[in-house]
Amino acid sequence: MSTAVQQRLLDLWESPKTLYGALATVDHKTIGKRYIITAMAFLIIGGIEALLIRLQLARPQQNLMGPEMYDQMFTMHGITMIFWYAQPVLSGLAVFIVPLMIGARDMAFPRFNAFTYWAYLFSGILLYASPFIGQSPNGGWFAYVPYTNLKYSPGYGMDFYNFCLILLTIATTGGAINFIVTILRLRAPGMAISKMPLFLYSTLTISFITIFALPALTAANIALELDRRFFTHFFDPAHGGNPLLWQQLFWFFGHPWVYIVFLPATGMISMIIPTFSRRPIVGYPYVAMSTVLTGVTGFGVWVHHMFAVGEGHLSMSFFSAASMTISIFTAVQVFAWLATMWKGRTVLTASMHFAVGFVALIIIGGLNGIVTAVIPVDWQLHDTYFVVSHLHYVLVGANMFPVFAGLYYWIPKMTGRLLDERLGKTSFWVIFIGLNLAFFPMQLLGIRGMPRRIYTYLPNLGWNSLNMIITVGAFILAIGILLTIINFFWSLRRGALAGKNPWNADTLEWSTDSPPQPYGSVHLPTVVTRHPLWDEHDEEEDPNGERILDEDRLTFSSTWLDAEVFALARMPEDTIVPLLLAIGFTALFGFLIFKLLWFALGALIYNLIVTGIWFWPKHESELA
Amino acid sequence: MSPVAVDIPIHRDHARPAVRVVDDGRGTFGMVLFITTEATLFLMLFVAYYYTHTSGRWEHEQPPKLHYAIVMLIVLLTSSGVLHWGEKKVKQARRAAGRFALLGTILLGLGFLVLTFFEFRETLQHVTPTTDAYGSTFFTLVSLHAAHVVVGLSMLIWVLILPQWEPTRETPHRPYHNAAMYWHFVDTVWVFLVALLYIVPNIYNAV
Repeated sequence: MSTAVQQRLLDLWESPKTLYGALATVDHKTIGKRYIITAMAFLIIGGIEALLIRLQLARPQQNLMGPEMYDQMFTMHGITMIFWYAQPVLSGLAVFIVPLMIGARDMAFPRFNAFTYWAYLFSGILLYASPFIGQSPNGGWFAYVPYTNLKYSPGYGMDFYNFCLILLTIATTGGAINFIVTILRLRAPGMAISKMPLFLYSTLTISFITIFALPALTAANIALELDRRFFTHFFDPAHGGNPLLWQQLFWFFGHPWVYIVFLPATGMISMIIPTFSRRPIVGYPYVAMSTVLTGVTGFGVWVHHMFAVGEGHLSMSFFSAASMTISIFTAVQVFAWLATMWKGRTVLTASMHFAVGFVALIIIGGLNGIVTAVIPVDWQLHDTYFVVSHLHYVLVGANMFPVFAGLYYWIPKMTGRLLDERLGKTSFWVIFIGLNLAFFPMQLLGIRGMPRRIYTYLPNLGWNSLNMIITVGAFILAIGILLTIINFFWSLRRGALAGKNPWNADTLEWSTDSPPQPYGSVHLPTVVTRHPLWDEHDEEEDPNGERILDEDRLTFSSTWLDAEVFALARMPEDTIVPLLLAIGFTALFGFLIFKLLWFALGALIYNLIVTGIWFWPKHESELA
Repeated sequence: MSPVAVDIPIHRDHARPAVRVVDDGRGTFGMVLFITTEATLFLMLFVAYYYTHTSGRWEHEQPPKLHYAIVMLIVLLTSSGVLHWGEKKVKQARRAAGRFALLGTILLGLGFLVLTFFEFRETLQHVTPTTDAYGSTFFTLVSLHAAHVVVGLSMLIWVLILPQWEPTRETPHRPYHNAAMYWHFVDTVWVFLVALLYIVPNIYNAV
């Protein structure tokens, strides 16, 4: 019976292995893997840009590239890493893991999930079309006006910046909506909100942040583009505008964005450390609440990016205090992880190495962040390499390390093969040493007054040896990343078979095959405790086959608080329409970059028609 | 957000969820979140309007004339009322009445766009988007709203030409409901636009 049932589920859920099947698939597992691979490609591209920057700065008065080229290089490095790698890689992991973790068969909007992936991919491709016409964005990743006005940034660089970011924002916001509905509506029966794995808390929190923060970026992009190409005066003080408006809008988006790339990473760490400490996490409710509170408080700290612009005293004191408050919530999580390791029996796998390394780095990055929350110190260190050090410690330490921990942890689930542990640990140590070699001296450089974003410097300033050390460190860091990439490709063929649950972990995704079947579990699981796989309860115990749901593409809809089933969610079939719509949006913004307004109108009409086709309902006779 | 009037036996051990209702509320949930993010976009532009206003260089500007804006407000509020009535009818399975209300809403929406054209033609004689930051924020907000009216109208037209309004028999009103929510949102934005961009400056001018 069971093979017949499995065959029936497979017929329902598997995408055909054809070109059409690959383009039309809405399977979250495929889309999640594509997200991760695309994001890693952007990590490599952004990494190469970083290495070129470091070659230029290795010694004083180098001539590898001129100032124009250097501006484009550091801008592309920044936006590639922050927008096209750091968040999408977390989205990718979440797209793959979340439905398995909540025991659902797909995301709440599978076709929309496909659309957001394609839109993300095409926005990146559109961005990287710009170097080929020699006009990349060159205003820094936060693109302050008036540098980015048409007068000071001629060419199409900043137009690419604006429209690629708007397209990416559509993809990111769409993904966030999808996560919220998925997590609040499709959880397995019994997975009450008090029993959710912590990764779901962080994903849910950042999805809400996304909904409220990204419109500020879109508003800023629209205003900048209108100023550049349509002669408005949002940022022009000569005509009643205000250049600080850009900074307010950008950082109202920008600081929550830091938490968008940080919180899911802490969520992953809260999954990985308990697994490898062989005990439940210490203080689950406190960790969950700190996650949510970090998200809320994250909206009250944006002005700390602007202490040097001359705000009022009251405003500055408020934002300084809020910036220091938010570190309390991070500290709660850090202490919970440390206590979990302390009270548990740690197993130092490669994944755990990266997790523990992350804890060490977030302490360094967090501490030198608090330094800049102190306003007088900030005035001294503003726009120096101290800030570069801080943001790299935080972003590499608190995004890349947890992501690598997560990859070593979850890739066996995706491919069915374990990565090599020894090579993984070697990779960790090389990355860890390279990273500290690269980013610690930047603090010293900052204190010695080296400003950021200079394309070269004079030899008699006392910066020479530190810069050389940083460049060497950057290359060591790159070699470390390369080792993990080699490890991945090696594991695809030679890695040991993972089995269902190689780490003896506690959450539901480990009850599926590795790699999971297209339909996930045969019997949709139920949950009674926080640690389903560690407890004496058979999630898939279903003697009458009532949780197989093999009549159609179905999964359970449950209430958001107690996860009691109230309906069956019907999932859509594979379709190529999301891809067509993503192409339409890309065309729209591509035309707008070059101000081809009639073409843009055409693309808009095309998009409306495709959207209409997308949502066209099926006749009842076509439904099960 | 739960489906209408269905008896759902839930077993306390969650092991046998004997449910055979199709969940069609995900789209509504998604629409609520989409509206939230759209509302935040308008909020940000209102912030831009007030933030540049505090630099205090707009005193020479005449406040915009009220007559078109008020008429447009009445048109939109009426359209929302009509649409709400129609939705009620659809829930009672009175499809023809619902479709009629939908048609009325669409015509009122088109009327709004025509009025927008006249309103722009009049306001542009005093201030243009390129005059100063006031003109830039004002016209960006109003045009963005008009663009949302177009999107809302596209949704309504789409619902109007649907061959049937239901993917399932249980909830005949769902696409109607989702599109109507978006339309009410667009109307609400206009209420704020009229209040903050039209009425408040006129009050300031009068005092």
